[in-house]
Amino acid sequence: MSFDSLIQAILDGVLTGGVYALMAAGLSLIFGVMDIINIAQGAMVILGAYLSYALSVHLGIDLFLGLLITVPVMFVLGMFLEWGFIRRLREGDRTSMSILITYAFAIIIEGVLTVLFGTDYDQLSASYLNSSVHILNFYLPDIYLFGFALAVVLLGGLYVMFFRTKFGRGLRASLQNRTAADLVGINVNRTRMLATGIGVGVTAAGGMVYGATSAFNPDSGYDLISRLLAIVILGGMGSIGGAMASAVLLLIAADIVATAWEPTWSILVFYAAIILVLSFRPIGLFGARAVRSQ
Amino acid sequence: MSATAGTDPAAAPGTEQGTVRSRSRLAVRLVVVVALAIGILFPLAENSDQGTMSIAFFALIFMASVTAWNIFSGYSGYLALGHAVFFGTGAYTIALTANDWHVPAGWSIMWLLPLCGLAAGVLAIPLGLVALRTRRHVFVVVTIAFFFIFQTLATNLSFTGGTGGLQLPFLDWNYDVYNERFYYVALVLVVLTVILSWVVRRSRFGLQLMAIRDDEDRARGMGVRTTRVKLAAFVLSAIPVGIAGGIWAYFLGSIYPQSAFDPLFDIALALMGFIGGIGTISGPLLGALVLESLQQKLTQTFSTDGLYLIIYGALFLAVLLLLPRGIVPSVAERVRSWRARRPGPSASAEPAAGTGVAGVAPQ
Amino acid sequence: MIEVQGISKSYGGVQALSLCDLSVPEGSISGLIGPNGSGKTTLFNVITGYERAREGEVRFNGNAITGSAPDRVFDLGIGRTFQLTRVFGRLSVLENVLVATQRSEGWVRGLLRLAGSASERRRAMEMLDFVGLARLASDLAGTLSFGQRKLLELASLLVADPAVLLLDEPAGGVNPTLINQLAERIRELNKAGKTFLVVEHNMEFVMTLCDRVTVLSQGATLASGTPEEIRANPAVLDAYLGGDVAEEAAAQDARAKRSQISVGAAAAAPQPTAPAPILRVKGVSAGYGGGDILKDVTIDVAEGGITCIVGPNGAGKSTLLATITGLLRTRTGTIEFRGEQINGLAPGQILGRGVSLVPQIHSLFPAMTVRENVEMGAFSINDKALVARRLAAVQELFPIVVERAHEKAASLSGGQQRLVEFARCLMLDPSLIILDEPSMGLDPTTRGIVFDTVAHMNTTGRTILLVEQNARAGLRLSSHGVVLENGTVRLTGSGHEVLEHPEIGALYLGGAIEPVL
Repeated sequence: MSFDSLIQAILDGVLTGGVYALMAAGLSLIFGVMDIINIAQGAMVILGAYLSYALSVHLGIDLFLGLLITVPVMFVLGMFLEWGFIRRLREGDRTSMSILITYAFAIIIEGVLTVLFGTDYDQLSASYLNSSVHILNFYLPDIYLFGFALAVVLLGGLYVMFFRTKFGRGLRASLQNRTAADLVGINVNRTRMLATGIGVGVTAAGGMVYGATSAFNPDSGYDLISRLLAIVILGGMGSIGGAMASAVLLLIAADIVATAWEPTWSILVFYAAIILVLSFRPIGLFGARAVRSQ
Repeated sequence: MSATAGTDPAAAPGTEQGTVRSRSRLAVRLVVVVALAIGILFPLAENSDQGTMSIAFFALIFMASVTAWNIFSGYSGYLALGHAVFFGTGAYTIALTANDWHVPAGWSIMWLLPLCGLAAGVLAIPLGLVALRTRRHVFVVVTIAFFFIFQTLATNLSFTGGTGGLQLPFLDWNYDVYNERFYYVALVLVVLTVILSWVVRRSRFGLQLMAIRDDEDRARGMGVRTTRVKLAAFVLSAIPVGIAGGIWAYFLGSIYPQSAFDPLFDIALALMGFIGGIGTISGPLLGALVLESLQQKLTQTFSTDGLYLIIYGALFLAVLLLLPRGIVPSVAERVRSWRARRPGPSASAEPAAGTGVAGVAPQ
Repeated sequence: MIEVQGISKSYGGVQALSLCDLSVPEGSISGLIGPNGSGKTTLFNVITGYERAREGEVRFNGNAITGSAPDRVFDLGIGRTFQLTRVFGRLSVLENVLVATQRSEGWVRGLLRLAGSASERRRAMEMLDFVGLARLASDLAGTLSFGQRKLLELASLLVADPAVLLLDEPAGGVNPTLINQLAERIRELNKAGKTFLVVEHNMEFVMTLCDRVTVLSQGATLASGTPEEIRANPAVLDAYLGGDVAEEAAAQDARAKRSQISVGAAAAAPQPTAPAPILRVKGVSAGYGGGDILKDVTIDVAEGGITCIVGPNGAGKSTLLATITGLLRTRTGTIEFRGEQINGLAPGQILGRGVSLVPQIHSLFPAMTVRENVEMGAFSINDKALVARRLAAVQELFPIVVERAHEKAASLSGGQQRLVEFARCLMLDPSLIILDEPSMGLDPTTRGIVFDTVAHMNTTGRTILLVEQNARAGLRLSSHGVVLENGTVRLTGSGHEVLEHPEIGALYLGGAIEPVL
């Protein structure tokens, strides 16, 4: 494998890693604030992709502009799911039950999408996205660049929200010490609902970029969630920064493997990462949560 | 649910409690015999209806798989959502060995089934060792991840036939005995698996497993070798699922990665377990019977894949939220409180007593 | 039989055990006592392998077992119970007892053999008989009452025939008749050759049962000897009541001079007309399911004063606070704040009415700065100007908020964190501040600062209700005192009256002793 293709793989990895980082951050956020693992995150990304598709193909709305619609829609969906279902979970085995419940969500979403769009593969496209930027020896597809930029903007927005707004402070407080958050009068239920909304809302953006870079059908959610889970496990559940870092790392590694061997094996990088990490450091690279009793 | 079969000093024969206990044991035994009889005689009644027979066959496959899954997840409390790995392994094992060893079509292929179980069991060892290192909820995620690994492997490795899958040697049995024979093979598997589950339940090993479920740290403090016990249960639960995969593969005649490694299979096991009642013996059987029949009916009625998924997912959601403990434990509780209200032997001797054998759960 | 030497262990910034020594002679019934947070359960955990110590050694019959895993420790013959009783809830009582007999089996044989052979079951039933649970053998362990679970725990251990039993608060939450039975059983077993190490707060239980007692304080061994020796030891009394006598007196005088409330004056002339109570607890009974911990408690908290609730462990102090702040429902009785009934309201609503709580555990947001933490106190207020004004006022009272404003809360010491917590709770301008063990885990100097601050907060007219293990300092500081024991109010009066009351020593150390105050 030549040095050039190595650099290309790294560049691709960084660019796509940004988008995965966004989606994984959403997953980590949900876990951090609510102690639930959202298996449906992948399916939701695909849902976001289909929403963008519908807007673009049937209504002619530009992909990026369409986000102004899809993101709020997904946001509301996330809030609804928390309010309607997740809140009903008993405290006892909350996390395990959440895995099952969100798996059910994922199946329902896949079912709805299959009914509406069929099982054929689709892909998002825009005329301005079909070219690449040519720097030195490297090709950087426009869509990757745009997607990366979008991810950066959104992650930046999340950062601002997190650290500069009152709501963000409340969210951080809930993450750091739940009892104290209660004590200080933070409306925990509302915070959870909004956090879920945000965690799901980002999947709309992720979905648009994903849909533009790869062909997808309703079944693609499984592939995605397994990558996202690997990213989050590697980064340590609950650590948003960890999720972002490991997203970029894993994507780079996967791209290198894809270039050096075959694309179909690149997914194994994710799984190998899980196994390695769990064998040696079960709490993940950045996982700081104390070991809870089972 | 208790596992105190055998002599219970608290209910000496001849006392009133003893009579009640032996009466309920008798009732359970009766139910078992009846169920077995139905199972054996069913094809004779329904043989003409191929549709019903194949539904029955698939139901049996699931009954065996869920019962096996329950041996691990139900008794230990660790939710494993990756057992499709073992199912698929069994399917591919029988396909590969049948083809590579040129086993003639016919009954002789059935001799390969133990190999399927073996392959699944052996595979379960390293998987279990890695997965069981984590906390309970991460364990679930890891089993899911393992599942996807294997699905990918099956799709991409050359010797597994890639996306095209594999074909098994063509079986030229007569159309009308085809379903019947597979039915009985599956039935045998179900019976054996139920016996295994029952044995585990009553054994020392099972007691330790259930102690782990209730309080793992304390169990460890009381001398239970938790890692060993959990791993053993994991392996034991994998074997029947592997065999089931083998039978299934042979029945269909051809397999491909998406069908042998189907995420819905994993979910189905959990759903059936939850519907019927996790941790009991009759629960998984009931859950599998109910759900698989429903599933097959749904596929026959709804041509679109999507609608099927929606209903399935919604059903799952409903069960999780409304029936978290499952049919069998809820019924058992009803019966228990009904009995407690009846005049007669003191209620304190009743609860949790019972053999927990297939059929009615502890009174 | 068990020798513990120089064990040290810390959790983050808190030193749980420091060079702790303990000796349990073979055939004895040894007691381990000490105030809250002195490290007793941690020591148990280290001995039985549930936690690792940073340094030190544990020997069993001369062999080092430091750091061995729990199952190994159990195999060696050391069994233990837990403070919060743990049973296998979904197994029957009989099965619970059987678990310990099933160990050390290859798993194949374990599979093929029935859970509990006839002889094992007989033995298990014997044990159940011994503790009096035989008739409940087939019941699910989860349905047992609290006291019954304790007995079940004991039976589960005994069946494995351990040589040593470590019992963590065996009498806690158990009704008196059962306690006597328990003591009887322990004596019987001891005569049959078993060694015991018992952690208990029930002093009568410990002093009458044990032949040796070791006292832990602040993670180190304070004293060791026969019950009589321990009772007469002034250092022990100090540890329970808190603080070095002379040092505290000096600090208290200085405090009295500084603070505007003259404690001396309050003590010398008990208020003929007490100010209207801001908080009234009337006939409250409450518990956590196992039984009532509070039994018909009636307390009036005077407005503008400092009321200190003291009492031995398990007396119900924290439970009382939980009912007041809405975290626990009262079974009977009412709680009124400024005339309005507040029991039954959600904690958030009670907070909104001007009641603020600083809980026992550290409740700062560790990754936020000191200033952010304090600002979080006013999270529910939207008026920025108001928040700024409050912040300024708080900063005056608590210079530390300005000095360490931009440091992360996690980097502060325990005492400093406490002060920040006080500052934070003042942001809502509460009329009633509830402090749960504010000085716990702090060294004497920091304790002094904390108490100074409490007095200071009171000067601004706020009522303070505090629960304190450090009875001496707490009562000296307070205008009113309440002694809680076993869920009932034993004494009330002005802070001084309660402190000087002859019974208080007895309440803490059991039996008739001369309180050296």
